[in-house]
Amino acid sequence: MTAKPWYSGERGVTQLAGAVGALVNDVQRVRRAWHWDTPRPHTWPELGAVVPPPASDLGWARQEPVRTIRYLIQHGLLLPFTEAMAHPRVEGREWVKELDRPVIFAANHSSHADTSLILHALTDTARDRTVVAAAADYWFKRPLMGNIVSLFLNTFPFSRTGGAQGQLHASSTLLKSGWNLVLFPEGSRSQDGRIHEFKPGVGHLANETRTPVVPVHIRGAQRIMPKGQKLPLPAPARVRIGKPLTPKPGEGSREFTTRVEKAVRTLAETPKSQDLQGTWIERWRASKPRELVYGDD
Amino acid sequence: MARPGAVIEVDRNTPPTLFHYGEGVRLERLPLGSRIVYPPDPLEPIAHPERAIKRALGKPLDDDPLKSLLRRGMKLTLAFDDLSLPLPPMAAPDVRQLVMEEVIDMAAEAGVEDIHLIAALGLHRRMTQDEVRHIVGDRIFSTFWPDRLYQHDGEDPDENVYIGKTAQGEEVTLNKRAAESDLVIYVNLTLVPMDGGHKSMATGLATYRGIRAHHNVKTLLGSRSYMNPPDSALHHSCIRQGQLIEDTVRVFHIETTVNNHAFPSIASFMQKRETDWTPQDQAMFLAMKQMTDIAPPAFKRGVFHAMRAPYGLTSVNAGQVDAVHDKTLDAVRNQISVPVEGQTDIVTMGVPYLGPYNINAPMNPVLVVCMAAGYLFNLYRGKPVLREGGVLIFEHPCRYEFDAVQHPSYIDFYDEVLADTTDPFEIEKKYEQRFAEDPWFIQLYRKSNAYHGVHPFYAHYWAAFAMQYAGDIIVVGGEREVVHRLGFKAATTLEDALEMAEQTVGRHPSITHLRVPPIMLCDVQ
Repeated sequence: MTAKPWYSGERGVTQLAGAVGALVNDVQRVRRAWHWDTPRPHTWPELGAVVPPPASDLGWARQEPVRTIRYLIQHGLLLPFTEAMAHPRVEGREWVKELDRPVIFAANHSSHADTSLILHALTDTARDRTVVAAAADYWFKRPLMGNIVSLFLNTFPFSRTGGAQGQLHASSTLLKSGWNLVLFPEGSRSQDGRIHEFKPGVGHLANETRTPVVPVHIRGAQRIMPKGQKLPLPAPARVRIGKPLTPKPGEGSREFTTRVEKAVRTLAETPKSQDLQGTWIERWRASKPRELVYGDD
Repeated sequence: MARPGAVIEVDRNTPPTLFHYGEGVRLERLPLGSRIVYPPDPLEPIAHPERAIKRALGKPLDDDPLKSLLRRGMKLTLAFDDLSLPLPPMAAPDVRQLVMEEVIDMAAEAGVEDIHLIAALGLHRRMTQDEVRHIVGDRIFSTFWPDRLYQHDGEDPDENVYIGKTAQGEEVTLNKRAAESDLVIYVNLTLVPMDGGHKSMATGLATYRGIRAHHNVKTLLGSRSYMNPPDSALHHSCIRQGQLIEDTVRVFHIETTVNNHAFPSIASFMQKRETDWTPQDQAMFLAMKQMTDIAPPAFKRGVFHAMRAPYGLTSVNAGQVDAVHDKTLDAVRNQISVPVEGQTDIVTMGVPYLGPYNINAPMNPVLVVCMAAGYLFNLYRGKPVLREGGVLIFEHPCRYEFDAVQHPSYIDFYDEVLADTTDPFEIEKKYEQRFAEDPWFIQLYRKSNAYHGVHPFYAHYWAAFAMQYAGDIIVVGGEREVVHRLGFKAATTLEDALEMAEQTVGRHPSITHLRVPPIMLCDVQ
């Protein structure tokens, strides 16, 4: 039964009854067809992960005046709070001080505090040009929360469940527009604090866009806010930033991802690795302040 | 051109005189005919410090250009003075940072891989990370901290070496890394003539075993004064030790001096002579006086210790230590010397909130003695401003107040040692070794931010000469019990103190007020 159109000549109660009847009918059909009140047929394939509709890339979050608002929020709230909670020790900041091109920050992931710690470790200039890849199926399930998080941290939705080409396109567009990208290549927070295998997306993205990857290791974030905990607790943290890695000619995405993963694992170790964090001479030169050159005119 | 220092006689029109009073200020009317000694105005700083540093490193005194001394594969150590200099701490960038950045640039260019930066603390407290960062700057700190930039530990048996004995039998020890280096570059900041020269290495990178050779009562009593190296037994001893160090390791010395622009614009009235105070200075004085009168000590301390001095670089010299230090002393004297005619029966002074050993901490009673009867009294060349047997009067609240983190051994020194005696010889003989070898004090010195267990003794010894030389020492405005424990007399007002002093020096005494800080050196003729 379908509701009759407005030009059918029926009016008033008759039309309303017809419309309601049609709706009930439809609902019943769907209920039966999709087994609302009976078990899901075992012949059906397993439920797939929720794939949200292609979210907006939240371009508004990267435009003025939102950037200024975010700057104020970060400097007034986020960074002082991070400092108070973790008093993070940052090593290797010189590698991100004077970035002359966008980079991908690839870090281990064990806590929601990771993002704040990474942003805290960056210089103001680098932070202002950094977007954070946030799991679309987690942070953007509820649009309001996704937008708030985006206002605070400059996140953009990143699908963990497929759509590689689409993601690649969105991410590479950001990189090409001069934005640095924070990625957690493990895909999800580690339960036990150990570093898990990196997913090849980071290598793929770096390879396709020829973007350097800066390995970052965060220690102590798990004690601040482990998976499953709602509120943060104070604990010391260390953020160690390594030398940017660039895909070698002919190096496949998976090989490059493995190299990035190894770099993050090496950063976790003590003593420091000179190969990865650079000799002091390299670091000294990397941190040289940009010299102002005045033209004749 | 900067105005030289001056001695002004108090007449009816002379405005009242500013006295520092710990974390506070006072105005006092000195009797007619008294003299006030004012330091010279700050000299014009060098306009381009980086260029001056480059020039000094390129054309060193009695040494080869630094560039030619650096080579790939060498072991290079940079040592630098700690936060006890200058006072108050310098507004960023610190001149040591500028010098070290230049040196490091050269080392990087030469490809020197093995480089270490050591804060030459001697037996001072370890600095906090922020304090180290303040001296060396962000760039050096983030590149080298903590594995290549660290602080000397005079109690680490594995990291210090015994070098030998001087002809006079003084033992010499040195930081192992420095001793094993192909080149040690020492970056110094000289504020008063006591600093720098051979003393930098001989105390900054040494252990108790080496430092006790000259930090003892006999040597300090033989230094008239230790603010004038040619007449200082302390410096003669350091020179002998330094020469032995130079036989062991190649040292390249870089010394800097700054002008005496010690106070930021907010406290510029402290910098000026009272006759120069503008209405703004007077208002600022009133505001500060009210604030310091009513605010709790911790708050006042926070305000005062947050002040950073806008010092300007006045000289930088590099090369062989003696040649460099001669030039440095000339530059320092050029800034701080004031000719003063004749001695006086009574010397008055206000003791400020800050001395070399209480950065970010209260000035405890032991340090008050060190500051007033030690450093400030000894700011002379030739002979003291005070005649022998005269009376030294200084103003300070002298509270029983200690920083338990920085000065744990000072608490015991005050409670146990000074309760027994104030005689430096007796104290040295009876107590010094026990405090110096106390394992808990050693632990706090090595792992916390505490001064070495022996440090309060040295602070007391600095004042040994003044205590022996002066007929009386009177503290105005100090806590009576504390002042008595220190072995001095207490007075409530300056008038009372002058009245009490007349019992020692007779009626109608001559009075001289030393208006420090800013620092000055009285050239007494």
